[in-house]
Amino acid sequence: MPEHNEIRLEKHSTVTVFCIEGDVTAFSEPFLNTAYQKANEQGAKKILLKFDKDAYINSGGIAVLIQILAETRRNNQDTAITGVSDHFKKIFHMVGITKFAKIFNTLEEALALMTKES
Amino acid sequence: MIQILDERTIEVNLPNKIGYERVAMDCAASFAKIVGLVSARIEDLKTAVSEACLNAMEHGNRGRPDARVIVTMNCGDDDFSVSVLDEGEGIRELPKEPDIEKKIEKLEAPNGLGLFLIKQLVDQVEFNEMTKDGHAVRMVIKIT
Repeated sequence: MPEHNEIRLEKHSTVTVFCIEGDVTAFSEPFLNTAYQKANEQGAKKILLKFDKDAYINSGGIAVLIQILAETRRNNQDTAITGVSDHFKKIFHMVGITKFAKIFNTLEEALALMTKES
Repeated sequence: MIQILDERTIEVNLPNKIGYERVAMDCAASFAKIVGLVSARIEDLKTAVSEACLNAMEHGNRGRPDARVIVTMNCGDDDFSVSVLDEGEGIRELPKEPDIEKKIEKLEAPNGLGLFLIKQLVDQVEFNEMTKDGHAVRMVIKIT
């Protein structure tokens, strides 16, 4: 049952927003990697991962996110997350993802803070 | 295939194919809603069921396309239990707790989070229940 993610990159001032449509599972790996590569080519310094509020995210998807976070950390890119439900906020906190990516309740809140930071 | 065995018990028989764990997940969510689990606990249950099924498909049944995963859900007076049965021989060694720092530094594989999430999200979990049909993981969430 191959899955498909549509990942649109949007530039908001200094922040590159990954608009991730669809569920996030192990099948998301090539889509997220391609988007990340494209963002790097565009010189992204601040990355905001925006999820669908109703997205299904499983451990395979979390593993893919961890790989992306490993890369953003290696490349000194400030990374944050928005759009996730309360349940996945809890899960991300349990796993420790929040140590490496702050979670914002809304896109606006994330952009306001991220664009303000130098 | 979904069977209502009695008013308190539902069985979902899944093909061993990634993606079908969502059938069990959604069935568990619907059943749990009927019996009055609060929404936050239903979300916990959904993730736990999904991860147990994925584990059964990938590790228990080793991805064999002819194998099945049988998910049995039972609503008791005080708790909601789910048993996920695969055709494997059980979990020989439970993985250690994931270390996010090591994962980020690539000193530890990024995967291996499923059993950790199950343990965190349910009130009780028993791995390695061996039956004549295979290996089961049994998870319990308290209703009250």
